[in-house]
Amino acid sequence: MVVSMKRVAAVAAVSMIGLSACSGTGSGSPAVPGETGGAAEGAGVLAKAPVAAAADILPGSTMEKIKQRGELIVGGSLDAPLLSQQNPVTGEVEGFDADMGKALATYIIGEPKVKIVNSASETREALLSNGTVDVVFQTYTITPERAEQVAFAGPYYSSGLTIAVKKGTTGIAKPEDLNGKTVIAGANTPAIPAIKKLAPQAEIVTFGSDPECIQALKQDRGVAYVQDETLLIADAQKDPAVEVVGSPFTTDPYGIGLKHGDDQFKKFVNDWLKKTQSAGVWQGIWKNSIGTVVQGEAPAPPQIGSVPGS
Amino acid sequence: MSVLLDHLPEFWEGLVVTLQLTAASFAGAAVLGLVVTSMRVSPVAVLRGIGTAYVETFQNLPLLVLLVLAVFGLPEIGIKADLLVTAVVVIAVYEAAYIAEALRSGVNAVSAGQGEAARALGLTFGQSLRHVVLPQALRTVIQPLGNVFIALTMNTSLAAAVGVVDLTAAANRVNLIEAQPIPIFVGAGLAYALVAACVGLVTGRLERRLVTAG
Repeated sequence: MVVSMKRVAAVAAVSMIGLSACSGTGSGSPAVPGETGGAAEGAGVLAKAPVAAAADILPGSTMEKIKQRGELIVGGSLDAPLLSQQNPVTGEVEGFDADMGKALATYIIGEPKVKIVNSASETREALLSNGTVDVVFQTYTITPERAEQVAFAGPYYSSGLTIAVKKGTTGIAKPEDLNGKTVIAGANTPAIPAIKKLAPQAEIVTFGSDPECIQALKQDRGVAYVQDETLLIADAQKDPAVEVVGSPFTTDPYGIGLKHGDDQFKKFVNDWLKKTQSAGVWQGIWKNSIGTVVQGEAPAPPQIGSVPGS
Repeated sequence: MSVLLDHLPEFWEGLVVTLQLTAASFAGAAVLGLVVTSMRVSPVAVLRGIGTAYVETFQNLPLLVLLVLAVFGLPEIGIKADLLVTAVVVIAVYEAAYIAEALRSGVNAVSAGQGEAARALGLTFGQSLRHVVLPQALRTVIQPLGNVFIALTMNTSLAAAVGVVDLTAAANRVNLIEAQPIPIFVGAGLAYALVAACVGLVTGRLERRLVTAG
């Protein structure tokens, strides 16, 4: 959802390299939200992750190729807090999407060996169809249009868009209230079509990353910021100048992007997803990431194959 | 291809913004570039120093850094303008450094005797620049200026990263719905190429005309 523009990501990556070079191997305090559980806890959940029986890895299949390679190549983000963010201290990519990728790698290879290729919403379909990545875990909302280009396993998580405003703002409670106003959204996020649909008279300004959007909101570039609820809750916790209004007004089922037409692999991934959920690993991964800012127990995972396009 | 036709209005709006960005920032950059060049060739050492510092500063900073700084940094000290205006000013200030360098190479191509002769005739520095040196200098730098113009056109796409809905941002938004990056970005690329080709055509003609006129 916070798929930043590649250029911005490159700048961020460079500054991360600088940071990690400075900090060395010192044990810093958690620099990333969602990291409070620590790597040990994350590894604890993954240790329980199911591993596929040898008979499930069919000869000549995509999963066999991955197993022989010894590494799962995942298209994902490096800058999405709680979902898939590179920890500048350890260099590890952490979050819900990142750990789901590691769990899938464990299922196929037996070890959480993952290589994350930083993808963006303008490159995901191409990366899958030309085989650069095996799977995409990147808040990839399942839509019928996208399902013509790629295959979706899952949905593996369901989220929704909500509205954040500067604290003290009045008159904005629901998406229709955004009509005639300037609204901030993350570039390349489903917020843009959602706002266009529910508040056609709103003017949308987009910025590459979530911190930029928050900064723009605080500098009055727009009266409201529409983004995934999870991210906004995390933002509002970090920054008292921002508050979340109302409850989510969309349902975005996230799917695991796979190469179009690879039905064998899709069934395999769906089977894995079912096993991960019944083993409690899905719930554990949720607790370690999104659960660090959202109160309560892990929600019930969405029904696999329940969405048009999945 | 139908994906391009279905979203023609969005692409058109994006292209218009790109053309506005290009035209306004080139105009600003041309004026500013001329001023900086005049400083760099002026007899006053302080002005030469300022001109050199300007060129070195803005040629050595990436445009995206300048854009992000201007959009998010300036409001912190109370300077806040419309995003499009901010982008135009930043691109103009940045490209002025390149235009100044192109113009300076033109000024250097005019033999020193021309300036000396103008001075001997009693023209002031400003007059000799305006009536003798610059008209000859401009003729030699039409092609380099065209190149700066084309580079500027391409650089306007960076404004998409700071909230300006130009052609690049429009293509991104269409792709978000349609998930067909290849036709969409090839289409946007062709539009940029078309703008660049027009510029090339115009500078080519200008050069031929002005050279024969001289």
